[in-house]
Amino acid sequence: MIRKLRALPYTKKKELYGFLFVLPWILGFILFFGKPLLTSLVFSFQNMEMTPEGLRGVFIGWDNFEYALFKDPAFIREATNSFVNMLYGVPLILVYSLFVAVLLKNKFRGRGFMRAVSFLPVIIASGVLMQILKEDVFSQGMRGGAESVYLFTGAGINGILQELGLGAQLIEIFNNVISRIFDLTWRSGVQVLLFLAGLHAIPGYLYEASSIEGARPWEQFWKITLPMLTPMMMLNIVYTIIDTFTDYGNSVILMIYNTAFSQVRFGYSSALAWLYCLLIAVFLGAVYMLLKKRIVYMQD
Amino acid sequence: MNAILPKKQLNRARKTLTSIIRFSLLAALAYQLLYPLLYMLSMALRRPEEAMDPSVIWIPKTLTLSNFTDALRVMDFWDALQNSLIIGIGCGLLDVLSCAFVAYGFARFKFRFSGTLFMLVILTLVVPVQTIILPLYADMKYFDAFGIMKLTSLVTGGPDSISLVGSFWAFFLPSMFGMGLRSGLYIFIFRQFFKGMPNELEDAAYMDGCGPFKTFFTVMLPNAKNAIITVFLFSFVWHWNEFYMSNLLLGNLKKNFAIALSSLRVDLQSVVNVQTISDPLVVVTRIQAGALLTILPLFVLYLVTQRYFTDSIEHGAIK
Repeated sequence: MIRKLRALPYTKKKELYGFLFVLPWILGFILFFGKPLLTSLVFSFQNMEMTPEGLRGVFIGWDNFEYALFKDPAFIREATNSFVNMLYGVPLILVYSLFVAVLLKNKFRGRGFMRAVSFLPVIIASGVLMQILKEDVFSQGMRGGAESVYLFTGAGINGILQELGLGAQLIEIFNNVISRIFDLTWRSGVQVLLFLAGLHAIPGYLYEASSIEGARPWEQFWKITLPMLTPMMMLNIVYTIIDTFTDYGNSVILMIYNTAFSQVRFGYSSALAWLYCLLIAVFLGAVYMLLKKRIVYMQD
Repeated sequence: MNAILPKKQLNRARKTLTSIIRFSLLAALAYQLLYPLLYMLSMALRRPEEAMDPSVIWIPKTLTLSNFTDALRVMDFWDALQNSLIIGIGCGLLDVLSCAFVAYGFARFKFRFSGTLFMLVILTLVVPVQTIILPLYADMKYFDAFGIMKLTSLVTGGPDSISLVGSFWAFFLPSMFGMGLRSGLYIFIFRQFFKGMPNELEDAAYMDGCGPFKTFFTVMLPNAKNAIITVFLFSFVWHWNEFYMSNLLLGNLKKNFAIALSSLRVDLQSVVNVQTISDPLVVVTRIQAGALLTILPLFVLYLVTQRYFTDSIEHGAIK
């Protein structure tokens, strides 16, 4: 057996080694992901009940899915909500984090401090802590704390916008954006980090060459920085979409959790989770297809 | 305008203008990000009577540490710290090891289905935990890896499964196999990093007679320092803040910070000074103190590793 292995051609041997490297992950995938995933698919076609002997499932076909799509008033509404939230959120987070990354890339006094501050969200913005932060900062805003995040909302800014001749719908969108600024800045930590890494990976000679040819910083940004950042843009878009959809504060996620553990409807909860999952996958696939051709890879 | 001002002066004016604009933008940003922290600190140092006092904006009239001492006690601070540290450090190290190992396979070897397998790595990131949470919980409660336990129980007559619920292994095991919290992302980061390493490094090691495994452990891994720090920090922090899985798998058996903090409001109302606290002002200030205590260790870690962290960005550990 060992002699046979020794006699394998080099390329075959390399394949085998590659497989051996990945093997632990394959085992983990089957054990901690594949099996539960399949089980939950089976659950979603069943009516699960807690009995004294444990969980018992009765096969009911597509009933759970039909109920979720056509009868449950909450699911479709919440899913649409979280979808719309994402449509607002992803572009804003992207533009914002790119902007901050560009600001932080250049050398200036206090850069170290600013960098440390802008990575704060990576460190503390998740889970329970974020919930507490939100609750209390928002409640503080409601009792009119002078320097709250609601600085921009209220009649003042709306009046100005109306003077500018914007329609009611646009103003609503604008307000929506403004009221989310706090949330958005706190959800952009990883994205800023990734963009910053991407910016530093752009070779400096590109800028030198272009400035010799007379390009302005503004042109350099559109012609060099942005195209070179497209792979990172892709990663960030995918990450942000996933993050928004699977965030624990997401209302659909909460609904799935509550259906399972408060209402003890495991089968229905699994069906909801699968529908939601499919929605994310389809959306991600579409985004990927749309962006794939626009990505610029550095040829070296 | 261009004609009147000499070019040098114009340039200088432009520079000052940009730095003024940049400064004000960054100041606004820093305010936005530091605001919650300052708010927490300010609240945590106040006496409860001043919590809603409109005449106190930032600096309390009388400083007090009683919020902290109460939060320390109610949260079982040292216990929670210990549990959080064990999970954070253990999973961080295991994630680094397993993900680097697997990612090296994806980065440097081509084999059948390697593309498909990598797509599955991304899939593990996309599927929300909630989809698989129930079967996963059942699997953890009656853990039996590939039926091995059942087989041995036939021979030895022991139990045919063990319960991992309430044990740190519920977190360590998935991390060990590259399937822990956001492990897919770490594999991705490491894969990018290894792809960027020069081929000559490996070739030299092969020439010296190292096998692929030895090459990985003696040449590639030690060179991946920046990626290791980034991944470790991510893993540590995310495990630290993670509430959902720990609530389910550890429950109240082993409280970490996330669990302690989430139940702080309820706990406060039941135990402090034997009598219950129902005064919302007291609860609010105590909760802010608790939140601050929770992030304090993270803060210390961040300050220590910050240099490597930015270093790893500048040298493109994540590309």
